[in-house]
Amino acid sequence: MSGFRSPWAHLSLMQRREARAGMLFVLPWVLSLLVFTAYPVLASVILSFTDYSIVQTPHWVGLQNYQTMFTGDPSFWPAVRNSIYYALISVPLGLVASLALALVLNMRAAGISIYRTLFYLPSVVPPIASTIVFIVMFEPQSGLVNTLIRLTGLPAPAWFSDPTWSKPGLVIMSLWGIGATTLIFLAGLQDIPRSLLEAAAIDGAGPWQKLRNVILPLLSPVILFNLVMNVIYSFQVFSQPLVIGGTTGAPFESMLMYMVHIYRNAFRYFKMGYASALSVVLFAAVMLITLVIFRSARLWVFHEESGPVA
Amino acid sequence: MQPERVSYRGRLLSRRSFLKLAGFGGGAALLAACAPAGTPAATTLAGTTVPPTAGTAAINLSFWTPGGSAVWCSSFDTIAQNYQQIEPDVTIGAAQCYTGDQSFNEVLLATIAAGNPPDATIIWSSPVAFAVRGALEPLDALMASSRYSQLENWPGGVLASCQFRGETYGLPVTAGAYGLFYNQELFESKGIPSGRADFPTTWDELRRLSKEFTHWNGDTLETAGFFPWSNPADPGSAAVELAIWSALNGSQLFDSVNLRYTLNTEQNIEMMQYALDWLDEEYMGDVVKVTTSGNWSGSPDAQGRPPAFQDGRLAMFTNGNWFTGDMYGSALAFERWDAGLFPVGPSGSNTASGYWPNWLVIPKGSAHVQEAFNYMDYIAGEGILVWFANVPDLPANLTVPSDLVPTKVIEERGQAFAEDIQAFFRGQLDVATPMWTSPVQDFGNDQIARAIMQILGKQATPEEALTEAQELCQTELDGALAVA
Repeated sequence: MSGFRSPWAHLSLMQRREARAGMLFVLPWVLSLLVFTAYPVLASVILSFTDYSIVQTPHWVGLQNYQTMFTGDPSFWPAVRNSIYYALISVPLGLVASLALALVLNMRAAGISIYRTLFYLPSVVPPIASTIVFIVMFEPQSGLVNTLIRLTGLPAPAWFSDPTWSKPGLVIMSLWGIGATTLIFLAGLQDIPRSLLEAAAIDGAGPWQKLRNVILPLLSPVILFNLVMNVIYSFQVFSQPLVIGGTTGAPFESMLMYMVHIYRNAFRYFKMGYASALSVVLFAAVMLITLVIFRSARLWVFHEESGPVA
Repeated sequence: MQPERVSYRGRLLSRRSFLKLAGFGGGAALLAACAPAGTPAATTLAGTTVPPTAGTAAINLSFWTPGGSAVWCSSFDTIAQNYQQIEPDVTIGAAQCYTGDQSFNEVLLATIAAGNPPDATIIWSSPVAFAVRGALEPLDALMASSRYSQLENWPGGVLASCQFRGETYGLPVTAGAYGLFYNQELFESKGIPSGRADFPTTWDELRRLSKEFTHWNGDTLETAGFFPWSNPADPGSAAVELAIWSALNGSQLFDSVNLRYTLNTEQNIEMMQYALDWLDEEYMGDVVKVTTSGNWSGSPDAQGRPPAFQDGRLAMFTNGNWFTGDMYGSALAFERWDAGLFPVGPSGSNTASGYWPNWLVIPKGSAHVQEAFNYMDYIAGEGILVWFANVPDLPANLTVPSDLVPTKVIEERGQAFAEDIQAFFRGQLDVATPMWTSPVQDFGNDQIARAIMQILGKQATPEEALTEAQELCQTELDGALAVA
């Protein structure tokens, strides 16, 4: 049996010093990851099995919080339904819109860099400020949106006052922030070799065929990235529905998104244990969806060397 | 290749050593930043900096408020200065007004859990809800020997909001009393007597009167009389005010003596069925059409719409006495208004009112309980005069002179009317039904708001919605009491 051998034993003095310096440099990030991310995640999991109201000592309740969630909380399923609705509509719509915008911004036109900046600007506007602007624009009687709709002769919806139209209004609002996704698509588009597009053109491919047979396959890894990130973000939508519907999710709980439900249990009712259980379920659900997306990626994400991974 | 070196006081310093030193320096700076800050200079809301007091005073009290307007928050600096003149051994730091982006209650509870809470604070959530979590100091012994705050110096219905299992956990320093505001000029334009004595005394009379003012243009509600039981676009406020309407119909929402919710009593089901019938008869049975037609609250809404009452589009409106000043924050389309008693429901026998207090409490773990209480007692009996001069919340302590009149109302309506309306609201406190007495108040309010939405949205019958809310609230309450 050999004795203990330091993993650094094979390194030269210089390499050891550099390794030590490297460790020191990453230490703050590792520490903050452990303290501010890993510890809260672990604490949430543990607290999800307790009754905890900040002041009192956590009181172990086993699976009671999970049982309450699925069988005794009448707002849980509406919150789940609202969040799924929002994710199912806003993510595909946002991806299509941001890809279309990226394709336009990828054109060689005068002043294109100005347009690129302008389309990204909404992403840096604080969500509460932009939400208030949208509330004013969607005002049923005299808001800009309904004024334009009435000019076409169509019936104008009541948007955030009507439970039927409040979520579509929120989805439309989500398009305001597609600048970041557009930017990533734009970077992906600029990474596509021009030679391939030129070869396709020589072979007689039109714009639609180039998009379908060259651009989209080569962009599919970027689409995968944006899809995963946007799905995660969509389940975390919080500020906008909170500003519009408050903690009750008005009108008629139509704006009660899952994150608002977590917030209200944690910081309005001080049911930290229950809110932790809600968070754990959200984490598990989003992880599961992400795994399914990654699994499905084998069928549709194209790798230049081998095509879709079978 | 030799590593690049820089000269430092005649010695050579390698780049690696330089980075190492920078790292240690940064770490030291980080640790220094995390260290306790000693006695910081406090910044008031007005932006002025109050320097730390030299260590001559024996006791330094900290005092918080959950937020409020700049003028209200700055009142506490004046009150503190006045108090220090009579208690020179006590210094009071600048009032910490709100807690930034984080929820005030969350921060307060966290400081209590960490053992470093403020010595005294104002809270806007029921003290009972804090008391059940063991977060507040009981005050009965301190009140008994106080100058202003003995039990008998508070209206019983209002003090009930601070009492849990026989102990008192707060002082309801102000209690905005509710009344039914109405537009006298609108009444008179239809030949309806507008005196307070002529105001409806039953729900049926109120409903008949309301119809006189309600006018639809297609699907748009142009003018309205009165909404049962509150602004339908604001279920949160409706849930608070429902306690008044329940009392008017001979019931209550929460029995604080037996610690039981009583949401689905016959009278409460009748009350909500009454509202539903009223909605069907006068408002097309469609609450969405009502809410999309205008802003039926008392202040401009997020969509920028003017408030309907001030705009002359809503004849009658439930609000607290603070509205006597707040209503002038929006352009008023008329001059003369008044407030009437709440009318009685079919199963009720007496008028009632409600209130919304500011509570003074001492968090558990306060370092100076006696001194903090003395300061609170001073605010309740004397400091309140400064507070009232800036923001005319209705003082609840019975030792406070009853002839206080809000300046804004004097300016707008004259001394006589101002005195009369103030006396009216003081009287409303005497008939206030107990509110804010549930240990799970916020949870309960949200469930009541949900039930109201379900009923008015016709997603559930009054009995179904109230029974579901009853079960949820009682389960929540039992859970809270079990660990109390």
